Amino acid sequence: MLDFFTIFSKGGLVLWCFQGVSDSCTGPVNALIRSVLLQERGGNNSFTHEALTLKYKLDNQFELVFVVGFQKILTLTYVDKLIDDVHRLFWDKYCTEIRQQSALSLLNGTFDFQNDFLRLLREAEESSKVRAPTTMKKFEDSEKAKKPVRSMIETRGEKPKEKAKNSKKKGAKKESSDGLLATSKAVPAEKSGLPVGPENGVELSKEELIRRKREEFIQKHGRGLEKSSKSMKSDTPKEKGKKAPRVWALGGCANKEVLDYSLPTTNGAPEVAPPEDISLIRGTGPGGQLQDLDCSSSDDEVAAQNTKPSATKGTLGGMFGMLKGLVGSKSLSREDMESVLDKMRDHLIAKNVAADIAVQLCESVANKLEGKVMGTFSTVTSTVKQALQEFLVQILQPQRRVDMLRDIMDAQRHQRPYVVTFCGVNGVGKSTNLAKISFWLLENGFSVLIAACDTFRAGAVEQLRTHTRRLSALHPPENHGGRTMVQLFEKGYGKDAAGIAMEAIAFARNQGFDVVLVDTAGRMQDNAPLMTALAKLITVNTPDLVLFVGEALVGNEAVDQLVKFNRALADHSMAQTPRLIDGIVLTKFDTIDDKVGAAISMTYITSKPIVFVGTGQTYCDLRSLNAKAVVAALMKA
Amino acid sequence: MASVDSRRMANGGSVAGAFQPHLDSLRQELQQGDPTLLSAVVAVLAVLLTLVFWKFIRSRRSSQRAVLLVGLCDSGKTLLFVRLLTGLYRDTQTSITDSSAVYRVNNTRATSLTLIDLPGHESLRLQFLERFKASARAVVFVVDSAAFQREAKDVAEFLYQVLIDSMSLKNTPSFLIACNKQDITMAKSAKLIQQQLEKELNTLRVTRSAAPSTLDSSSPAPTQLGKKGKEFEFSHLPLKVEFLECSAKGGRGDAGSADIQDLEKWLAKIA
Repeated sequence: MLDFFTIFSKGGLVLWCFQGVSDSCTGPVNALIRSVLLQERGGNNSFTHEALTLKYKLDNQFELVFVVGFQKILTLTYVDKLIDDVHRLFWDKYCTEIRQQSALSLLNGTFDFQNDFLRLLREAEESSKVRAPTTMKKFEDSEKAKKPVRSMIETRGEKPKEKAKNSKKKGAKKESSDGLLATSKAVPAEKSGLPVGPENGVELSKEELIRRKREEFIQKHGRGLEKSSKSMKSDTPKEKGKKAPRVWALGGCANKEVLDYSLPTTNGAPEVAPPEDISLIRGTGPGGQLQDLDCSSSDDEVAAQNTKPSATKGTLGGMFGMLKGLVGSKSLSREDMESVLDKMRDHLIAKNVAADIAVQLCESVANKLEGKVMGTFSTVTSTVKQALQEFLVQILQPQRRVDMLRDIMDAQRHQRPYVVTFCGVNGVGKSTNLAKISFWLLENGFSVLIAACDTFRAGAVEQLRTHTRRLSALHPPENHGGRTMVQLFEKGYGKDAAGIAMEAIAFARNQGFDVVLVDTAGRMQDNAPLMTALAKLITVNTPDLVLFVGEALVGNEAVDQLVKFNRALADHSMAQTPRLIDGIVLTKFDTIDDKVGAAISMTYITSKPIVFVGTGQTYCDLRSLNAKAVVAALMKA
Repeated sequence: MASVDSRRMANGGSVAGAFQPHLDSLRQELQQGDPTLLSAVVAVLAVLLTLVFWKFIRSRRSSQRAVLLVGLCDSGKTLLFVRLLTGLYRDTQTSITDSSAVYRVNNTRATSLTLIDLPGHESLRLQFLERFKASARAVVFVVDSAAFQREAKDVAEFLYQVLIDSMSLKNTPSFLIACNKQDITMAKSAKLIQQQLEKELNTLRVTRSAAPSTLDSSSPAPTQLGKKGKEFEFSHLPLKVEFLECSAKGGRGDAGSADIQDLEKWLAKIA
C-alpha cells in the first residue's frame, strides 16, 4: 500500500529506505523538503506531490526526518500511527548511533530496519482492518504525535505507575512483572506516611510541599537503590519496547486524576502525587518559564538520587532546581515555548506582519524547535528568538536569482526587448516606481520604452508623459549618440491594455529599445473583470518579469492581495505552468519606521524576492532589500 | 645555603651555569629585601605571561581546519562528503542543515581536517556560509558539470558571493572548484567551465556595481573582483583558484568506486 518510507538525517543522508514500488523516492522527498520544510510552511504534516501524498515527522532532537509516501487516492488511516511507531522503534534500536549526532556515526552505522518495519507495517495494516469504520484517531494519540522522544522515554520513577495503570487495562498478562514494580513503588509511599494527595496539597503551603517531596526522595533513594538494580535489569528492555500504549503526553493535567485514584483502589493506601503534579497544584500557572523549571523536576529526581540528598531542602531545593534548569541541557517541549511564542506572535503583529502569517510563523518555529536540546546557558526566550530570527532571514532570502541587469544583457544579445509588467492595487505607486526604475535603467545605459497601458484612470497617461519628459531631460539623446533613451508609447484612453502592450513590444523591437516597462491600471483584487484583463495581458505578452507593487503600509490585506493576484494569473492562464508574480516592489518604505512586517508577509506568501524598495519621492530613492537590516528592525523591541 | 644551591645548579647543566652570576646577584638583591626590584620582577613576569597567553589564543584562533563544501543544490556535495569519509555510496536528499566530520588526510603526517557539508538551497546557503566562513581553511566549490549550461548564471552568482566573502577574510582560504558528475556523458570539462565562469563573473562585476544600494547605507562597498579595466580571470584574484574534475558517483553505478583521487590529493596538499 505504501509507496515508500524513508528515514533521513537533516544533513541529507538517507539512513534507511523502504521502497514499496520501483519508482525512486528521491524526487518527491526533495520536493517536500524544498517546498515545505525549507519554506517554513508549518502546520499540517502532509504534502501532495503529483499523484503522491507525503506525510512527514521531524525529530528535532536528533535531526531526523521520517517521510512516508502513498498514492493520493488512498486514505490510509494508520499512517500517522505507523510513523510514530517506526520513529519510536528506530530510536530505541539505534539510539547509540544517532545520539552522538555526528555525521560519522551516522555514516558508519548500519541501519538494517527492514524486518522491523515490515512487522510494524503488517501490524498497522491489520489493526486498521479489524476496527474497520471506527478507526477514529484518539485525541491523545494525535497530541502524543507531537511530543518529542525525550519526554516519552521518562525516568524510571514515573514508569511503574504508568505501567500499573496500563496493565490493569490490558489484563493479566503483564500483571506479574509490572505488579512487582508497582508495589515496589508503593511501599516507600506508605512508609513515608505522608498522604500528600492533590486535595491536601492545595491547602498546604508551597514550602511545606517542597520539603515533603524532598523527604520522599530521600526515602525513595534509600529503598530505591536496593530494588532498582534488580528491577531495572528485568524491565528496561520491556519498557523500551512498550512505549506505545502510554497516554500521558498531555502535560500531566488530564491524567492527574487517573494517577491519583488508581493506586489507592488497588493498594488501599493514598498514593503520593508525583512531583510534576505537586508543582502544578502549586499554582505556578501556565507561564512558560515557570513550567519549564517544573518540567525538569522529573530530572531532579534522578539527580537527587545521584547527588547528596541533603542538598535538596526547603528553599535550597528551589535554588537547586533553578541551577539545574540553567545548567542541565533539556529538550524543549511545546508547553515551554507557548508563552514565549505568544509574546513573539504579538510582537510580530505589532510590527505589521499579517496576523495569519505571524501565527503560521510561530507554529513552524515551534515545530522546528520541539524536542531540540537547548544549550547550557540559553533560556527558552533566547532560543525561540534566535530561531525566529533565522527563520525570518531565511524567508527574506531570495528563492531565485534576481539580477535584472544581467537578464537585460541577455535579452540585448538576442536582440529582443526585455519586458517588465507592473501590477498592483490602486494608489500603491506603480507609475512612480516605474519612473524610478526607468531612471535606474537609464543610468546604466539601457534605453527604455514606457508603455502606458493604464487606459482607465484619468491623467494616468499624462503622468507618465511628464515622467518621460523629465527623464529625457536628464538623459538627452545628445549624450547617448543621438539615440532616444526614453520614450512613451501611448494610445489614449479606453483601449484594450493587452493590445497596447503588444504593439509597444513590437515597436520596441523595431526601434531597438532594450527594455519595455508596461504600466497597468491599478485594480482591486476582488474585481473579477479587471483581474481577467490583467491575466490576459500577461498571458498574451509573456513578459520577462511580472512585478507586483505593494505598499509597505499594508497589514493583513497583503495576504489577500497577493493570493488573489496569483490566483487570477493562474486561473486565466492557458499555459501548462502558469505565469505568476516573479517579484515584488515594496513602496513607501520611508513612511513606516520600523514596522517592516509587510516585507515578511509578502515574501512568505509568494516566496518571491523583493526586487526593489521605494524609499522616497525622488528618482534615486530606489533601494534593494537588505534581509538582515529588515530582520533587525523587526526583532527590535 | 645559597652556595650549596648554586653548586647543585652548576652541576645540573651548562645552561644553568650561564645564568649563574645573574641568579646569584638576583638572590642577593632579594635577600636584601629591595621591594622595588621584587615588584619589577613580578611586573615583567606578568607581562610575559600575558604575551604567552595572547599568543596562545591567537594561534588557536588562526588554526583553521575546516574545509567547506559549498555549491548549488543537487551538485553532489553530500555524496562527495560521504565518499571522502567512508568511500561508500549512500543515497542522499536535499540537506536542511550542515553536517561535519573529521577527515583524516592520507599523507605522511596524518593530519586531520574538518569537512563541513553546507546545504545548497537558496534560502539557506548564505546563512550557513556566514556561520562557517571564519573557520575555513579551504573552500571546495562543487559544480554540477552536467547541468552547468543551464545553471551557469546561478553558479556564477553564488561563486561571486563566496569569492567576495572569502577574500574579505583575514587569511584567505584555498579555493577549489570541483567539477563533479564527470561520469555523465554530457558533462562539461573543467576547462570550459572555467572559461564560462570567467565570462559570467565578468558580467556580474558590471551588474553588481550598478545594482541599487541596499537599505542601510552602513554596509561596506563590495570589493572589486579581479583587476579593474581588464577582463576577469581567476588568476587575477589574490587567492589561488584551482579547477579539477571528479565524479562522486563513479562510473559503474551504485557499487562503483568514486573518481575523487585528485580531490583527495588536493586536500592532502592543503592540510
